Amino acid sequence: MIEASALLAEIKKNGVTHVVGVPDNGSRALYEQLWADPDIQVVLVTREGEAFALASGLYLGGAKPLVLIQNTGFFEAGDAFRGTAFNMSIPLVMIIGYRGYKSMEPGAERVDTAATFFEPTLKAWNVPYYAIHRTSESDQLSAAFSRAAATSLPAAAIYPGELI
Amino acid sequence: MLDKYVCLEKLAARRTDEIVVTTMSVAMPWARLSDGPLDFAMVESSMGQAPPFALGLALAQPQRRVIVLNGDGSTLMCLGTLVTIAQNPPDNFTMVITENGTYEVTGNQPVPGAGRVDYEMLARGAGFAHVHTISDDGDFDAQLPLHFDGEGAQLFIWKIARTEEPVPKPLHYIRERARRLRQALTENA
Repeated sequence: MIEASALLAEIKKNGVTHVVGVPDNGSRALYEQLWADPDIQVVLVTREGEAFALASGLYLGGAKPLVLIQNTGFFEAGDAFRGTAFNMSIPLVMIIGYRGYKSMEPGAERVDTAATFFEPTLKAWNVPYYAIHRTSESDQLSAAFSRAAATSLPAAAIYPGELI
Repeated sequence: MLDKYVCLEKLAARRTDEIVVTTMSVAMPWARLSDGPLDFAMVESSMGQAPPFALGLALAQPQRRVIVLNGDGSTLMCLGTLVTIAQNPPDNFTMVITENGTYEVTGNQPVPGAGRVDYEMLARGAGFAHVHTISDDGDFDAQLPLHFDGEGAQLFIWKIARTEEPVPKPLHYIRERARRLRQALTENA
């Protein structure tokens, strides 16, 4: 289990001004805490591709955005990710929910391809990623921020399940 | 019907310190008029993503107006962004849809719904309060000031004549254009 409050603390520690994305069951608890936080502006988008364009504009304008989406949305966003955050060399951190992670365990009844395609896609798109499986690993989000800053390219933190 | 080259010349003549984001068949004609750090050709990027990109700039730079010139084909490619913008539209945001009914830089193939889609109705339905369709020079001249100082987020549909604009090839790579835009907005602020 991962506590959303721990991720929020990491987000604030890294000076994030805007969170851009689409809520889902995995990120619901974090979105609710973000909406209640006066220091961070949440901007919802209709499709995840917009999130990368919008966040890129925010960054070039001097803000510090973070993208918060599910892995299915990351797939949808492919060309927008390539054409904006990556091509523009934006040190953008994204938190991406790992939908279907448990379905990859041995004996699972049905494998969710959202999970099986996820890490190969991150690798294919040259996105370094840091896994967070429990609250005590929340500082991996800061590792993603450090990597993004060092390379001036996007980096991801990924988590399975539903935040609490 | 408007001549886009004349419209761009009039826009450039009035422009001061606004950020101007351009796409597709407008990018190079605008670059011939102005190609400084605050002119961002959304080329080598992702078709349809100029308006949310410009929205991000407007949210980060509330004291500076952002004008995004987007084609009708580009608008159709990311139609939901009208809702994203209109949910909380920044006062310093101006969007122009240049409507000619075609994908001009690839040879003027028709866009879906060419001549049938009502972009003003789409924008109003998405939640834009200030929407203006312009199809003649007199109306353009009258509404030009609103592009810069209209109250609230502004959306204009320019009904433009088709031309033969080639695939845009900006002078600088997109990474360099992004770098100099950020530098202009943050280091000299």
